[in-house]
Amino acid sequence: MPTAAAADALVEVRDLTTMLSGKAVFAGLSLDIPRGKVTAIMGPSGTGKTTLLKHITGQMRPDRGVLRVDGQNVPALGREALYALRERIGYLFQNSALLTDYDVFENVAFPLRQHARLPEVLLRNIVLTKLQAVGLRGAARLMPSELSGGMARRVALARAIVFDPMLILYDEPFVGLDPIALNQVLKLIRTLNRTLGITSILVAHEFAAVRQVADLVHLIANGQCVASGTPEQLARGESDWTRQFFGGDADGPVPFQYPAGDYATALGFTGAAA
Amino acid sequence: MSADMKAGAPRGGMLVDGLAQVGACGLFLLGMLGAIPRSLRHLREISRQIWFVGAMSLVIIMISGLFVGMVLALQLYYTLSIFGGTAALGTVVALSLYRELGPVITALLFAGRAGTAMTAEIGLMRATDQLAAMEMMAVDPIAFVATPRFLAGVIAMPLLANVFSMLGLLGAHLVGVTWLGVDNGTFWSNMTSNVDVWKDIVNGTWKALAFGVVVSLIAVFQGYTAPPTSEGVAYATTRTVVFASIVVLALDFVMTAFLM
Ligand SMILES: Nc1ncnc2c1ncn2[C@@H]1O[C@H](COP(=O)(O)OP(=O)(O)O)[C@@H](O)[C@H]1O
Ligand SMILES: [Mg+2]
Repeated sequence: MPTAAAADALVEVRDLTTMLSGKAVFAGLSLDIPRGKVTAIMGPSGTGKTTLLKHITGQMRPDRGVLRVDGQNVPALGREALYALRERIGYLFQNSALLTDYDVFENVAFPLRQHARLPEVLLRNIVLTKLQAVGLRGAARLMPSELSGGMARRVALARAIVFDPMLILYDEPFVGLDPIALNQVLKLIRTLNRTLGITSILVAHEFAAVRQVADLVHLIANGQCVASGTPEQLARGESDWTRQFFGGDADGPVPFQYPAGDYATALGFTGAAA
Repeated sequence: MSADMKAGAPRGGMLVDGLAQVGACGLFLLGMLGAIPRSLRHLREISRQIWFVGAMSLVIIMISGLFVGMVLALQLYYTLSIFGGTAALGTVVALSLYRELGPVITALLFAGRAGTAMTAEIGLMRATDQLAAMEMMAVDPIAFVATPRFLAGVIAMPLLANVFSMLGLLGAHLVGVTWLGVDNGTFWSNMTSNVDVWKDIVNGTWKALAFGVVVSLIAVFQGYTAPPTSEGVAYATTRTVVFASIVVLALDFVMTAFLM
């Protein structure tokens, strides 16, 4: 259930319903993302966390429901308005999604070159500032294929913040990183939020990392928001959902078994099953 | 887009699937044409792509043109000598090259070299979320990725076809004049008086332009709609060569019949 008052929510999701390949990914999902905070979205794999981020940025449209970002109902926006909104949103893809044709500098410069007619000197200064912020100014002339996973993710982060966005979405930013790289990315997420006040949505499975940075956690399962609260509240595990998710039990509200017919019948014990 | 299409596709026969593909491809073409005004803001990208596809295919097309011209001279010299007409060698070679072999073979080589590269590149860009990243940076991937490559192919094909034909003539001259002893003056004068710049060379250039459109369209469409997996991209590149070759040869017949 949404805990923050809707008034200071940057993103409001109401009764979101989405069917994908005949399956209800969201069945009346409602939640709020408060302004200026780091909000973590957690939940089992395949529960629709990436899909939710795609809804927020208008890459996918829900079947029903309202999804407001800074007061604008995203599913109803036309192309121009949507693109204008996206210029104020940074999105960190799980696999970084750097443009392989361009070097690190040009990757970070890409949004600027596309949307702002800046003198080359100014553009250079902005790009180098952002690269310095992620600690990779020295890597400006490397190609994406020459970067490690952690470096690529930091470059993608520099690119995502090049327009000083109001909102950043991180899709599983810690996956595949060694502990040092993980802490570097974690530190950047915290710095960007604390110093620039950028509202952040963090999809992640690493609860140890999440509790260091998140102000609020939404737990999504079965197409709904099943628990919300601070990391400490959720870790205490007051519902079956939080107990299973944060306790890591194999069985619980999220079944271990993929839905199947009767086991005894499948094994041929029709008599025994009856 | 590809995922939706795949999920929603009826499990119909091959004919239905094929028609649906052709329809989707047509809509994709309209989308690219509609994006041309926005693509013109990315002139740097268009010229980069022309340079890529041109430079990529130039060497293979020059070498192939040279050899095809040499073989043509050998074969036609033999045929013409039966009728005692070897003086017409230059004319026959030039007409074969400019009207037919130049555009067709260039298109087939172009599909195999530049077309597959376009498909694989765009397919990988989708698989690695680069196209989605552009969407997220408020850059339309149709205007920035698809249309510039399509235009580059359309512009490069007629130029490459003419390079092919010129090198073919050079090869034919080498074999016919230098080796088989056809008189140099006869070779050129007979040719220049019988080959009509407008009727024959422009005619062939129209063909090359049309082939450039279909090969580039197929290559870009296959890449853009390839399933975002390694098999998906691999199959898409194969389909580019197969479809482009068939369509070029069929279209060649139709255009020859109408442009005669
Ligand atoms: N484009 C799509 N077409 C069909 N099904 C999809 C599509 N994208 C995601 N899904 C399905 O939606 C569900 C949620 O996916 P996703 O949002 O990627 O989950 P998560 O990020 O939480 O792991 C999955 O069951 C997935 O198979
Ligand atoms: Mg995901």
